[in-house]
Amino acid sequence: MIDEMDLLSGIKAAEPLRRGAFEDARTVLRAAMDVETAPRTRNALRRRAHWGTRRTAAFGIVAAGAAAAAVAVVVASSPGPAAPTVPASQQAAASSPLLVLAARITASGGSLPGNASLIIRTQTASGIAPDVSYNLYTDDGAFYVGGDKKSLAQAVAKGQNLADGITGAEVKAALYAARGALSAARVQIVDASPNALGLGLPKAEREKIWAKAMAKVRKIYLEKGIKKLPPLPTGKALRALADNYVWNNSVDALSAGAGNPRVRAGVLRLLSTISGVRIAHSAVGGQAVLTLTAGPEVFGGQGEQVLTVNARTGMPVKSVQPADGKVRGSVDTFRVLRVTLADAEAGKL
Amino acid sequence: MASDPEDAELIVSSLSGDEDAFVELVRRHETAVGAYLARRVGRELAEDLLGEVWVAAFTSRANYDRSFPGARPWLFGVAHNAIRRHWRSRPAEQPVADVTPMASRWDPWAAVDSRIDAAPVLRHALAQLRPEQRELLTLVAWEDLTIADAGRVLGMPPGTARRSLHEARMALRHEPGVAALLTDQNMMRKAN
Repeated sequence: MIDEMDLLSGIKAAEPLRRGAFEDARTVLRAAMDVETAPRTRNALRRRAHWGTRRTAAFGIVAAGAAAAAVAVVVASSPGPAAPTVPASQQAAASSPLLVLAARITASGGSLPGNASLIIRTQTASGIAPDVSYNLYTDDGAFYVGGDKKSLAQAVAKGQNLADGITGAEVKAALYAARGALSAARVQIVDASPNALGLGLPKAEREKIWAKAMAKVRKIYLEKGIKKLPPLPTGKALRALADNYVWNNSVDALSAGAGNPRVRAGVLRLLSTISGVRIAHSAVGGQAVLTLTAGPEVFGGQGEQVLTVNARTGMPVKSVQPADGKVRGSVDTFRVLRVTLADAEAGKL
Repeated sequence: MASDPEDAELIVSSLSGDEDAFVELVRRHETAVGAYLARRVGRELAEDLLGEVWVAAFTSRANYDRSFPGARPWLFGVAHNAIRRHWRSRPAEQPVADVTPMASRWDPWAAVDSRIDAAPVLRHALAQLRPEQRELLTLVAWEDLTIADAGRVLGMPPGTARRSLHEARMALRHEPGVAALLTDQNMMRKAN
């Protein structure tokens, strides 16, 4: 007598996984194990190339101070400070799809052709004609921009290197993050751009940096009728400000180094440390993607930004910034190619 | 001669820093967990999720109940959660996956018996069940788990699992399409 369980058993067959898939999955596991056991101490025109408008956090009065201070104060990423321990919440995130994808990218390894990454960005915004830019980032840190192959070739030929040092520092931090301790990597990526947070430094030193920054912006505050300067951010406020830097600088690093799998892996690992980033699986144009939505908590309570990356390679697909108040909404789509500087100069892209 | 360590022992060893022990555990169960995933989400996505399952299991291994020597039901539970996370994270405009993904393009059933296409009927009937009933049924029928182990996957006491499985079987048996299939198949069997 056949019963319902027999019928069910009859349809149990499934297409078997490829043999290599088991090995891939074990490699991902090994990479995650490495992360867990890694020693903690292991080791303006430019804006055109960035994806969408950089959103500096607007955390009330504290943010105003920090943002203003960011313009004036450069805190170099000194190698000295002991990195804070990775909070439990970050360690628990080890199963995050971002960490898994990062591990997969790292594990896939492979050699890197060419000596530069070409990012062809198309930006569309309401009421404005689509803007296409050819952004060429060489592996040794130079940066050239053109509106097409021809003008890019001219920029390279004329040596119009627009690198300002910040992008290089961001990419370097992402490279470190691919294998290094996340807490130290966060400090590096935040310090890749000017800020007065003094992450990872002793409190006394942080207070000094903050006071110096506040002294420089005191006049602006007074003009705005604000007499009380913001205090040194600590706790949640500090975390939120740091998250804002991590998001902006990581996305910049991806914009410059997406041709390098280690940069992509590092950026994904850095973004996995931001609790205000939501991850979703989706599909765009037939390719499986992950959408990373940085919510308002990453931007001081207002606005959001959505970054879409290929779910298998981490390669950027698009970046969406919804309209928000005075900020015009925009959609950037990307093509990332590995090329040689010589070919770019010769217009052979 | 020393016998192979039990799964629970491998987990304990991994907690003491022996990473190879956890990889050994993975090797023991990867075919079964891979098949579990493939039956529910198709081969391609199963391959994507498998690494996530191992990482999640490794991350949460400290919570493993060492009174259970065999870890397969626990690993199925981790895989079950990975699938749920995956479906939950899909954007709202995409239909929430049910059992449709089980309908892989690779379907040997048709080759076995081309006269009666039972698979769509059964999938439709499964889709009518509550998710935990469906999962219980398939854990027992497809993954060859005992009812108690299937309950363990879902965090259900054995008694509850038995009752729920019974209800699920009755619901499946009396679903019109399945009832017709059962009648046909039993008649054919009798005639042969």
